[in-house]
Amino acid sequence: MTATTTDTNPLALDFCGLRFASPIVLLSGCVGFGEEYTRVVGFSNRDAGAVVLKGTTGMARLGNPPHRIYETPQGMLNAIGLQNPGARQVVEEILPTLDFGETRFIANVSGSTIEEYVEVTRLFDDSPIDAIEINISCPNVKEGGVAFGNYPEMSARVVEACRRVTSKPLITKLSPNQTDIQENARRCIEAGTDAFAVINTVMGMAIDAEQRRPVIGNVQGGLSGPAIKPIALLKVHQVHQVAQRHGVPIIGQGGIVSARDALEFIIAGAAAVGVGTALFYDPLVCRKINEGIRDYLGRHGFGSVAQLVGTLELPGAPAAAAGRAAG
Amino acid sequence: MTEAAAKDRPHRGTIFVEDAEVLDVEAWPAEQFIMRLVAPQCAAHARAGSFAHVTCDPALPMRRPLSLMRADPGSGVIEFLFKIVGDGLRLLAQRRPGETVSVMGPIGRPFTPTPGRRRPLLVGGGVGIPPMVFLAEALGPAARDGLVLMGSEVPFPFDPADSRLDVAHLPQGVVAAMPLMENLGVPSRLASLGGFPGCYPGYVTELGREWLRGLDAGALQEVEIFACGPTPMLKAAAALARDFGLPCQVSLEEYMACAVGGCAGCVVQVNTPAGPAMKRVCVDGPVFEAAAVDWGAMQH
Repeated sequence: MTATTTDTNPLALDFCGLRFASPIVLLSGCVGFGEEYTRVVGFSNRDAGAVVLKGTTGMARLGNPPHRIYETPQGMLNAIGLQNPGARQVVEEILPTLDFGETRFIANVSGSTIEEYVEVTRLFDDSPIDAIEINISCPNVKEGGVAFGNYPEMSARVVEACRRVTSKPLITKLSPNQTDIQENARRCIEAGTDAFAVINTVMGMAIDAEQRRPVIGNVQGGLSGPAIKPIALLKVHQVHQVAQRHGVPIIGQGGIVSARDALEFIIAGAAAVGVGTALFYDPLVCRKINEGIRDYLGRHGFGSVAQLVGTLELPGAPAAAAGRAAG
Repeated sequence: MTEAAAKDRPHRGTIFVEDAEVLDVEAWPAEQFIMRLVAPQCAAHARAGSFAHVTCDPALPMRRPLSLMRADPGSGVIEFLFKIVGDGLRLLAQRRPGETVSVMGPIGRPFTPTPGRRRPLLVGGGVGIPPMVFLAEALGPAARDGLVLMGSEVPFPFDPADSRLDVAHLPQGVVAAMPLMENLGVPSRLASLGGFPGCYPGYVTELGREWLRGLDAGALQEVEIFACGPTPMLKAAAALARDFGLPCQVSLEEYMACAVGGCAGCVVQVNTPAGPAMKRVCVDGPVFEAAAVDWGAMQH
């Protein structure tokens, strides 16, 4: 499955067989279960190609004690701890309230054991959800999450097990907190992932020197926001080198706050771009990013976002046939 | 989605994002500031207890939640009172008249006075003063049989004056009041350990206890407590309510990211019939029933 253009809207794309009206994907953990940001006048789920729902586990979870978030230089730490009402309630009570005419909704599946990932995936497979993101990179829970995602062998086992119980598009969310993300990507492709989300948050910490205590209740948290953009960009570039050979698309994410940021990720190899923390500063940022991408495509002679994906020209490599030549 | 579900979306379109022009910034001692801005939609829809999520400076990646102290639907002006506690509010205090900041609001579940409780006891401590001002002004004459108590360990962000309104059962010499309340005809008194003239030399909740002790059983039945301030003060207000068997609503704060209920970053632990739950200060609060809050789990 690949990401390609499907219609005359230059922002639209086909992502694993799903039509995204925009390359913007609203990220799991930032937009609740899809309805929360609609409180804001001027915000619309239609401005995003897809919305990824909050991380969901088999049983309901209370999550971590406060403080759960803290601003850091050009970023933010969070350790929410997968607070959610449990997969059954999400499928039976929340999904029926979503308007699937507005955008694509993607579930985010997490668990402490492979069995839990499978159980939750199975529940979502039998639901109207458009795709399933496997969260093997949550840095804020004691079991599961990044404990799977930092080891290629474990990552592949989770993906393989989920693959067996669903035919919906599977997106594997990769951790930046690992030694060799390319090896992990290779193993996940072999295990049957259809796409990647690159990256999850970078593990970090904040200390209150006056109190000599960690600020975050969970002691450590995941860093997001512009501070991690260069890390995310490199990881997308690295995963793209592996994934493009298999036609596996990437949602590039980490610190995107503007169209310029989004374009850099697309050029690095992302078929779609995740927006999360940027919403906290500007809840209406999606429209601005869409406009900026549209303007760029026009100025550079690209007919679609898909034509721009992975057009990075590396030193020493022959110039890619892109832009006007491709348009 | 069913048609019924589509209609049942009262939450949609309730929070406005406005480029608000700063009208003035008033500096008070101890790095306290009163900022007035033009944000017509926020002003039109705000209720006592609502807050707004404000950009302090483009250099910071996050907004700051600030309680609304006043909101005038007629002029479209909103008013914040804040004390510098970090980089964000330090930068906000530097904004000058004519500049704009982005105001996202109004947000949150407001105070909801219980019918029949005609003696509200409003308790505001430090940066918890703003929503108490909003509530007192909203109640107006309905608060005349109640009492507004403000506490501060630094000079108050207004000029106290001796009260013209008698309040029974208060200690001798506690006469300092908030002129704004006097103008409303609502009795108020001030408490501080800072040694300011006319103030009760103790905690604001202890002054509240003195007043409640003086009420007879019938009058006590008409009291409801509303409180906003530092966590130890809110804990004491909750204890006061428990001791006298009174309903009590508290406005809480916590570090906040999205302010729309999307990130679950700003939670507090509350007790529900189904067991403990993490509730979001932004949209489940900021006003909570004091009796439901798990005070042992609260961060200071």
